[in-house]
Amino acid sequence: MIDRLCDEDGEGDITVAGFYCDFRNQDEQTAANIMGAILKQLVAREGILEYVRTVFEKAKKEFGGRGLRLPDMVQMVKDAIAILPRVFICIDALDECLPKHLLELLGSLKDILQESPTMRIFVTGRPHVEVDIVRYFAGVIIIPIRHGAHEIKRYLEKKLEMDTMCDAMSDDLWGQIY
Amino acid sequence: MDYTTYLHPINTGNSNSYNVTNSHNNIINVNKTVADENPEIMRWLSPLDSRRRHQDVRTNRLDDVGGSLLQTNEFHGWRYGEDGVEEAVLFCYGNPGVGKTFLR
Repeated sequence: MIDRLCDEDGEGDITVAGFYCDFRNQDEQTAANIMGAILKQLVAREGILEYVRTVFEKAKKEFGGRGLRLPDMVQMVKDAIAILPRVFICIDALDECLPKHLLELLGSLKDILQESPTMRIFVTGRPHVEVDIVRYFAGVIIIPIRHGAHEIKRYLEKKLEMDTMCDAMSDDLWGQIY
Repeated sequence: MDYTTYLHPINTGNSNSYNVTNSHNNIINVNKTVADENPEIMRWLSPLDSRRRHQDVRTNRLDDVGGSLLQTNEFHGWRYGEDGVEEAVLFCYGNPGVGKTFLR
């Protein structure tokens, strides 16, 4: 999705940032850290790094460079998005977040969206996270993803092409797979 | 010219890397400079980084997975619709392994 949005963007009038949640790193994937990872992708845009550096220097002077709290992070993302053309935020596998982090993340995104109505948010997850998403975004557009037979066939073909034991394949076995 | 911000990782020369175009390579250089020249600020913002994971995803992706789903009116409305909070969020759900991560 990230590449699709980027590829379609011939005019350079959108900004895309993304994050992939991973259950193997749940403790570290707090709402603040995820928002920070997204902000890290925005600093390449004109004006954002300068803004972030100002906040950083101020925090360093006042608090000896303490870690960012979620409200500080949300405010920074809001300020960054306000400078940018339409921002797309893509977050994959919400179900792999710890529940408390997920709710804080959804709350933060809602908060940001209310101040930045041009922003677009794309999220994926297993079916059960729909309940939480609807709690925060009543108007969410929902699309179910199912494997089509064609996609399964393409996937198998690709995996078999890369098989290092290609001698094991015969026309007979190939026929049985299909 | 492409000004998109997402940090496109370096092309490793892996023949399975898709869509690594010249314009993306330009972005790599820009982003490497900005992010890599400010490691202290980057660490302060977050210990997490999306870049490596995105490289894995693009390497393993089949380009037409999810293609038909994203031709839907729902996707189009979200992508190109009017500004506003109402239809700002798109949620694609599915069971493990259906290819949500790899949607194009």
